[in-house]
Amino acid sequence: MTTVIRTSDLVKRYGRTRALDGLDLQVDAGQVHGFLGPNGAGKSTTIRILLGLARASSGVASVFDAHPWRDAVALHRRIAYVPGDVSVWPNLSGGEAIDFLARLRGAAHRDAGYRAEKARLVDAFQFDPRKKGRAYSKGNRQKVALIAAFAVPAELYILDEPTSGLDPLMELVFRREIARVRAAGATVLLSSHILSEVEQLCDRVSIIRAGRVVESGTLPELRHLTRTEVSFDATDGADASGGAVFAGITDIHDAAVTDGRARFTVDSDRVAGILPALAGRHVTGLRIEPPSLEELFLRHYGDEIGADAASADEASAAGARR
Amino acid sequence: MSTVGALLGQRLRRDRWQLVLWVGGTALLAIAAIGGVAQSYGTEADRREVLAAVAANPVIMLFRGLPSGAELDAFTLFLILPFLAMMAAFMSSFLAVRHTRMDEELGRAELVAATPAGRTAPLTATVLHGFGANLALAVLVAACFAGAGYAPLGSIVSGLAAAAVGLVFLGVGLVAAQLMRTSRGANSLGVWVLLVSFVVCGLGNALGTPSADLQRIESSWLTWLSPFGWAENARPFADDAWWPLVLCGIVAVALTGLAFGLQRVRDLDGSFIAERAGRLDAPASLGSPLGLVWRLARGSVVGWAIGGLLTGALATSLGAVIDEIGTKIPAVEELFAALSKGGSLEQGMVVIFFTIVGVLAACAAVQTVTRARQEEAHGTAEQVLAAPVGRVRWLWAFLLVGLGAAFAVCAAAVLGAWLGVQAKGADASLSWDALVAGAGQLAAAAVFLVLTALVFVLAPRLTIALGWVLVLVALLLGMFGPLFGLPDWVTNLSPVAVTPVATADGVDVKGLWWLLGAVAAGGVLALGLMRRRELAAGD
Repeated sequence: MTTVIRTSDLVKRYGRTRALDGLDLQVDAGQVHGFLGPNGAGKSTTIRILLGLARASSGVASVFDAHPWRDAVALHRRIAYVPGDVSVWPNLSGGEAIDFLARLRGAAHRDAGYRAEKARLVDAFQFDPRKKGRAYSKGNRQKVALIAAFAVPAELYILDEPTSGLDPLMELVFRREIARVRAAGATVLLSSHILSEVEQLCDRVSIIRAGRVVESGTLPELRHLTRTEVSFDATDGADASGGAVFAGITDIHDAAVTDGRARFTVDSDRVAGILPALAGRHVTGLRIEPPSLEELFLRHYGDEIGADAASADEASAAGARR
Repeated sequence: MSTVGALLGQRLRRDRWQLVLWVGGTALLAIAAIGGVAQSYGTEADRREVLAAVAANPVIMLFRGLPSGAELDAFTLFLILPFLAMMAAFMSSFLAVRHTRMDEELGRAELVAATPAGRTAPLTATVLHGFGANLALAVLVAACFAGAGYAPLGSIVSGLAAAAVGLVFLGVGLVAAQLMRTSRGANSLGVWVLLVSFVVCGLGNALGTPSADLQRIESSWLTWLSPFGWAENARPFADDAWWPLVLCGIVAVALTGLAFGLQRVRDLDGSFIAERAGRLDAPASLGSPLGLVWRLARGSVVGWAIGGLLTGALATSLGAVIDEIGTKIPAVEELFAALSKGGSLEQGMVVIFFTIVGVLAACAAVQTVTRARQEEAHGTAEQVLAAPVGRVRWLWAFLLVGLGAAFAVCAAAVLGAWLGVQAKGADASLSWDALVAGAGQLAAAAVFLVLTALVFVLAPRLTIALGWVLVLVALLLGMFGPLFGLPDWVTNLSPVAVTPVATADGVDVKGLWWLLGAVAAGGVLALGLMRRRELAAGD
C-alpha cells in the first residue's frame, strides 16, 4: 500500500507559539483518515502546510512523494480542498463561485460531465446557486466549497471540518459523497471534532493534541488500548463495595454497584476471560460496551477539562440520581 | 422613550470618531477656503475678474457654487458652499444606511427588534442621531466663518445651508435603506442621487442668467430641482435668504416620513427592490485568476475611467477660461508656468489636469492591488491558492488588471481631451500634449502599482493604508509642491510630477526612464518575493 501523506517531526512556529510540535502523520492510499482534535490543536495548520499555503519551520512533509510547498501547483491538480470556514466572493453568485473553483481545478467551460455532476450535487445538497455570495449563511457557503470539491474528481480530498454549519440531512448527503469517492479509490483526510462523523466514516484515526499526534490507528486497534465497560443487574449481596457481586471475576477495574447495577471495566483484550465467570452466576441485564471514540478522545483530553468541570459533573450526576 | 435614548447613546458611541472626522473635516474645508481666498484672490479686482470669467465660461460652475457678488465673504461661499454641503450629504447618507440597513444585514437589527425597542425605535434614534450630527456641523461651520470675522448672520446661514442639504440626504439614505436589500446597494443609491443632484445644480447654474456686471448669476429652473441648488440660493452673506432652506426642511421631513411608513409595513430583512438573482453558471471568462480579478475590479475601473474622461475633457476645454484668469492673477500664472516648464498656459492646463489623471489612474491601480489583500484577509485567496494556481501567477493577475485599470483611466482621459478640443475648437496640438501627458502618467501610475504590490508582499497588513497614503503624498507633493515653493528634488519625489510633458519645442521626457526602471525593478522584486511568501491570514 502506498503512502499518500507523510509528515515526520513537523514543526510550525508562529512567533513563540508552536502550532505544530513534531507532528508525525501517515495516510495511506484509499484510506478515509480521521484527523481528530479540538480547535487549536493544530489540524488546520497541518492542512495548510500540506497544501503549501504555509511552510514548515522544520521537519518533513510529503504529499504523493512531492514537496507540498515547492510542487504546490502540480500537487493541487490532484487535490480537492474544503476549508472549515468557507468565504465566498460577495458579488459572485454561488453557481459562479462553484464554476470558478471547479475550472481552476481543470473543469472545462462546456464539459457536459462536469455540468451534470454539478447539477446532481446542487440538487443533492439542496443549494440555491443564484444567490449572491453575501446572502449565503454559513452552511450554504460550506456547500459552495463542498460542491466545487466533489464535482471534479480528485485523488486526494483534504477536508477541514467540512460539515460545520450543515444540518443533519446534509451531513448524510456528505457521508454519501465520501462513500462515493472512497469507492472510486480516492484518499480522504477528514479533519473533524465531530466524533460520530469520524466513527462512521473513517478507516483510521489520528488524534492530535497540542501539535502532535498522540494516538493513531484503526478504530479496533484504538479500542484495544482502552477498557470495555461491563454492567449487569446486581441481584445478590448488593452493597456499595460490591465485594460479593464481583467475587471470582479477575483483572477488573473501577468495580462499583450503583442503583442496583454492578459495573466494572476490563482491558478490552481480556473481555473473553471474564465471560465464564459471568455465565456461572446467571447475570441478567448484561451489557458489554466497547469504548466509544469519545472515550478514546477524552482519555487524551480529559485532564484539560479540569477539576472544576469534573466536580460540576459529579454534582449534576448526583442530582439526577436523586 | 428610554429605549430610543439607549439606542441613540449606542449610535453616538459607535460613531464618535467617525463623526468627529466628518464634521471636523467640513470645518477644515471652510477654514481652508477662508485662507485660500484671502491669499489667492485678495483684492476685489481679482475677484471681479474671476466672476466675469466664470460668467463667460459657465462650465466652471459645474465645480463651483452660485456667484452672488465679489465681496470677500460671498465670494468665499461661491467657491466652497457646494463642497460643505456635499460633505454634510455624504456624512448623512452613509450615517442613515449604517444604522439601519447595515445593522439589519449583519443581523444586529434582529437582536434589537426582539427587545421592547420594536420596529421604529431604531429608526427614530437614527433620525435623532443624524439631526444632531448635522446640527453640530452647522454650528461648527458657522463658528469658523464668524471666527474669521465674517458677518454673524451670513455665517449662520452658511452653516444651516450645508446642514439643510445634509438633512435631505439623511432622508435619502433612510429611504434607500428601506428600498435596497444590502447596505452596499443602499449606499450606491444614495451616492448616485447625491451626484446627480450635484450635477443638476451645477448645470442649472451654468444655464442661468448673469447680471449686467457679470458679478451675479440667477439660477435657471433646473437648479431648483436639487437640494444643492436650494442651499446655494440662500446666498449667504449676499441675500441671507432663509426660505430656500425651508424647501430642504420640507423634503427632509417628507423623505423621513416615507422611511417610517415603509419601515412599518415591511418585514425585517425585507426590501422593496429585490436583489437581482445571480447567474446560474459562470461566464466563460471566469475561469482563471485573471478572470476573477477583472470580475472583482471592473465596476470600479469603469468609475475611475469616467473620472479620467471628464478630467481629460476639462483639461482642454477649460483652457480658454484659465487663459483669461491666469493672465490677470499672478499667483495662478506662476503655478501654471512652473508646471508646464515654460510652455503656454493652455499647455500648462493640460499638464495640471493630467496630473490629476495620473492620480486617478494610480487610485485605480492601487485599489486593484489592495483587492489582493482583501482576498487574502477575507479567506477567498486560500481557496484559489489551494487549486492549481501558483502564488506568483495569482499576484501577477492583480498586477496585470491594475495596469489595465491605469491604462483605461489614461486612455479615457486622452479621449476626453480630444473630445474637448473638438468641442471647443481649441488648438489641435493640445490633443498631442494630452497624449504625451497621458502616456507619461500611465508610467507614474504603474509605479504606485508595484509599490503597493511590494507592500503587500512584505507587510500585508499595511497594504491598504500604506497604498493609499503613498498616492496621497504623491498628490500633495506633485500638485502643491510648486505652489508652496518646495525644492525641486522634493517635488520630484512624486512620480506624477516627473512624467514627460510636451513643450514648445518637442517632448521633455523628464524622469520617464526612472519611472520605467522603478516599475520593472519593483515588479520583478514583488513577484520574486511572492514566490517565498506564505499566505498571511485574517485581520
